[in-house]
Amino acid sequence: MEHNEYIPKPAKLISIKEEVGGARAIKTFRTQFIDEHSFSHQCGQCAMLSVFGKGEAMISISSSPLQKDYHQFSILKTGRVTSALHEMVEGDTIGIRGPYGNHFPIDEWKGKNLVFIGGGIGLAPIWSVLQTALGKKEDYGELTLFYGSRTSKDQVFREELKELKKKMTVHLSVDVEEPGWQEFVGFVPANIKDKAPNPENTITVTCGPPIMIKFAILALQEFGFKDEQLYTTVENKMKCGIGKCGRCNIGPHYVCKDGPVYSWAELKNLPQEY
Amino acid sequence: MVNIEDLKREAKHLLDQGKVKYIIGYKKGTHGILAAPFFIKTPEEVDDLVWDPTCVHNLTRFLDDEKKKKARQKEPDQRPVGIIVKGCDSRAINVLLQEEFIKREDVYLIGISCENTGVLDEKKLAEKTNGRQVEKVEFAEEDNFVILTDEGKMEIPAREILAERCIECKTNTPVVKDVLFGEDIVRSVAGDFKSLEEIEALSGEERWAFWKKHLDKCIRCYACRSVCPMCYCEECVVDTINFAVTADTSAKEKAQKIKWIEKSPVLSENFVYHMVRAMHLAGRCVDCGECERVCPVDIPIRLLNKKMEKEAKELFDYDVGLDHDRPSLVASFRDEDPEDFIR
Amino acid sequence: MEKILTKQTFPQWIEKLKSYTIYAPVKDEGHWSYEILEDAASISPEYPNAVESPKKIIFPQREILFDFGSQENTGVAVNENLPAEQPTVIFGVRPCDAKALTLTDKVFSGDFEDPYYWKRRNAAVLVGLACNTPPSPNCFCLSVNGSPFSKEGLDVLLTDLGDAYFVEVLTEKGEQLVGAAGNLFSDTPDKTKSEVKKLRTEAEKKITRQVKDADRIPAKLKEIFDEPFWEDEALGCIRCGICTYLCPTCHCFDINDEVASNSPLKGKRVRTWDNCQFPDFTMHSSGHNPRPDKASRLRQRISHKYNYFVELYNEYQCTGCGRCIDKCPVGIDIIEVLNKVNEYGA
Repeated sequence: MEHNEYIPKPAKLISIKEEVGGARAIKTFRTQFIDEHSFSHQCGQCAMLSVFGKGEAMISISSSPLQKDYHQFSILKTGRVTSALHEMVEGDTIGIRGPYGNHFPIDEWKGKNLVFIGGGIGLAPIWSVLQTALGKKEDYGELTLFYGSRTSKDQVFREELKELKKKMTVHLSVDVEEPGWQEFVGFVPANIKDKAPNPENTITVTCGPPIMIKFAILALQEFGFKDEQLYTTVENKMKCGIGKCGRCNIGPHYVCKDGPVYSWAELKNLPQEY
Repeated sequence: MVNIEDLKREAKHLLDQGKVKYIIGYKKGTHGILAAPFFIKTPEEVDDLVWDPTCVHNLTRFLDDEKKKKARQKEPDQRPVGIIVKGCDSRAINVLLQEEFIKREDVYLIGISCENTGVLDEKKLAEKTNGRQVEKVEFAEEDNFVILTDEGKMEIPAREILAERCIECKTNTPVVKDVLFGEDIVRSVAGDFKSLEEIEALSGEERWAFWKKHLDKCIRCYACRSVCPMCYCEECVVDTINFAVTADTSAKEKAQKIKWIEKSPVLSENFVYHMVRAMHLAGRCVDCGECERVCPVDIPIRLLNKKMEKEAKELFDYDVGLDHDRPSLVASFRDEDPEDFIR
Repeated sequence: MEKILTKQTFPQWIEKLKSYTIYAPVKDEGHWSYEILEDAASISPEYPNAVESPKKIIFPQREILFDFGSQENTGVAVNENLPAEQPTVIFGVRPCDAKALTLTDKVFSGDFEDPYYWKRRNAAVLVGLACNTPPSPNCFCLSVNGSPFSKEGLDVLLTDLGDAYFVEVLTEKGEQLVGAAGNLFSDTPDKTKSEVKKLRTEAEKKITRQVKDADRIPAKLKEIFDEPFWEDEALGCIRCGICTYLCPTCHCFDINDEVASNSPLKGKRVRTWDNCQFPDFTMHSSGHNPRPDKASRLRQRISHKYNYFVELYNEYQCTGCGRCIDKCPVGIDIIEVLNKVNEYGA
């Protein structure tokens, strides 16, 4: 039988953790395939998750490829499929196909300092590459994370962030003043300006809402970061995940297949239509 | 007869004086027979304005675009939009006014009387010209159309190539306007709802077979909805997303949006789409016939809307779009109305 | 291989093709469409072109990718629903529509072969009919490397010679088809070739519409991406889907679940055509829309065909069939738009 990319493979939700509650709820799901299935991904890649009866959504894989026991997805409840996912319980079956897209070229980054910049749910795509770099810490220079959320309640991976602080530099921020908050108050780009990262031998990885990406990149450029040092991820509405259904394109690029990872050197030359 | 030079003079004057922000009219199409919608921003462009039997479009459809654009602007230009309206188009204006979708001061209505003719049906014309290339169609004396083709000139009675809706039209002169070109005459029409006679004579099974055959062809391009001045809903039952969604719309609201109709172009879904549209146009459709004209697969959509128009006439003595001060059909109840369950 | 088949014996050829499903253009109340042929005699070469191209046979507007339903052990069972490899002949394919399929082939190949598409594509034999007279006044195949007598993508090309067809057998599939009734085909007299050549020259002369300097357009489109040009050109657009649904090369699709029962779960995952002119095509679930207005959507349609596709595959994703022009409710004319693109700012 020939290969049919449209068929999702059934997988069990082995754990579900509530990261953020309320109207913009985020949950982290860990999955295991039911049948033996080779699914090895690279940092930054995505997978198409199926809730049968509701449809599919493209979600970035937040676990490191070094983690072989499960795959992890941190998902903001935002539409029909993600709302259905949030209703599911441990043991339920979803479908997974993929992995799709390109990946962060972390092998090329060996010996360099890495600055991760995330906003809101944008920490999810960073998490995979961050964990991988941490897992091979000896291969890289200094590791730094900037992470901002609307409020402290909107932070994902709250406990993990506490642990992370023991291993690397973490600059947290919230958008507006709140009681008991000890760290930076303001948007992520402002926090970057405040901490003044050094561009020398450094790669940055920025993920978050489009407006945050735009201003974070402007802030980094002010410190002398070159376009080739600035990496980001793009998202667009997707249906097929394999560059055929025609909606996620930015010019001739299909984000599902040619993205989601772009250096600013590449992205700035594409139509600004994302 | 309408003198195009008078019309151009008025259009130039309006733009020169800054009385309108732009004018929606007609220009010669770049191909084929029909004119094309024309958005005139400067007096210089007015020279390309045309008025002839190929000006079939109901331009009031573009008031929806204008309204949306205005809503996005911080300091919108408050001047009216000049718009050329035929009799049927003017009734669409009345419905839009009745429904408070537009305000009277939003539009400057350049009315044009179709006098005793109307606009043409492209397919009927093609049969008459039989392969000859049509260069121009013009109004002529004695209710004739003059057709200039690559093989010379033909003059034929307009009635033979008129659009179906024009044959049944009773408002050949605009019912609401700021200025009128052409003669203000009321013409007599032989037989109301004549176009329905054939289908009404069919048995239930035959009618089912008729619609099954036609609606099976539907490719759901939604041209009928998109061309309709009354299909201005922010959210249509066929859309997968509510276009009123903003960053603040909750996931719950979005997830709970009911999927009334599947995207699949299969008979059941096509039926639901066309029936919903027909119902939503009851007492609102002005029979401009645009939905049927644009259908790429020749579905006789006009019959559905005409039937609703007939029901409104017979049950409630309601004529669509004659008077914007009257309440709309579905927003009014009178003691003499036949259904009393609503009381 | 070149042969002659008289029109009188043509139905006999069709009779010999019983093992195939046969599609041919059929006229119903003035509307031409490709339908399964029930009566060999009803096949007629006297048609312009069907409103919908044969794309809809190879890549139907709706197809079920798989069924799904509750199952005890795994939770959900998925049953693949690949189309059967039913040998199919499509008669009367116009050269522009055959070429269009070769372009769609490129999309459905590559890293991820699309099995649904290829099952039908591989089982289909395309019998073309050269356009002695251009089917539409808006034909412009000559501007986009096509021709009314092009053989590209066809298995057999027929040319109407009045009382007979000149039959050019172009592929192995075509040979099998002709071989099914070899005795009906006779050898070609010497004069036929010059006759066909003459027909071709005449046909090409009849194509009057033209995109000037099409090769300059890709670069020009890149250049004017941000210009107000698009807003002006799209003013009349009513955001319907005619242009792309009727386009023989447009391939964009949507995937949705259609549920027959929630408990126990039972449903289908369905692929349907989708349309870059619809506002919800690119709208994110957040409400953000990268192509929020009709100007950006018109720009996408034109740029995809005349810039992005050229960059990816070195071909225009347009074969000049003229359908989008013929059927646009408001007279948006791709030839005119392209010519204006070329002249813009000059």
